[in-house]
Amino acid sequence: MNTDSKRLEPPDLSHYEENRSKFPPEELLKYAGKFVAFSPDGTRIVASGDSWEGLDAALEAAGIHFSQVVSAYLEPGEVSCI
Amino acid sequence: MSLLFRYKVEPVPHAVLSLGGRWSRPRPIISVSVIGPTSTRPIDGRLDTGADDTIFPERFAALIGVDLTGAPRGQATTADMTPVSVRYAHVALRLTDGVEYREWPAWVGFSPKIHRPLFGFAGFLQFFTAAFHGDREQVELTVNSLYPGT
Repeated sequence: MNTDSKRLEPPDLSHYEENRSKFPPEELLKYAGKFVAFSPDGTRIVASGDSWEGLDAALEAAGIHFSQVVSAYLEPGEVSCI
Repeated sequence: MSLLFRYKVEPVPHAVLSLGGRWSRPRPIISVSVIGPTSTRPIDGRLDTGADDTIFPERFAALIGVDLTGAPRGQATTADMTPVSVRYAHVALRLTDGVEYREWPAWVGFSPKIHRPLFGFAGFLQFFTAAFHGDREQVELTVNSLYPGT
């Protein structure tokens, strides 16, 4: 896992909310039940895994520090949250 | 000045009867950066007026430099009444809607059973007036008199 203790500059998240809210639903559906990392501008999923550990391993393999993306868990589509 | 967030519309593989047959569920999910002594992790979580605390996955604590050894402990129950352990720590939280930026200190919990963070009363909603616009599928957050940040 990339646990580099050097604090990196925070990514520019100024467009994240706008783009993430418009993310193509059909693309999101492919990741239902997965742990994913969105690009800072919210336009792409750059890594995914079946757990937080799996996501972090995928990020490290891709050379991406966890502080430079937006992590998310996408609920399985077939269940509602109550 | 308020922060305005659109609900995230998450697709589902079937028509949702309770929402008139639409094939998606709108949820008040927003991105928050949790800031520790050594690093920061931006993550999507759910605004939850039914949650007493703000809770993150336990794994994140070590990654951002929060040492939970000896941290205050508590017990919580999930919506399905499953008991989960929580350890509390003081961090900073950062939030932006792309227009306004906010950062404040907060006591939050870390739990091994949490998949998606919950932004509940303590540490989060206690500092905001929140308006959930169901018709527009937007949530509006306005800092209140208790807000301790910048």
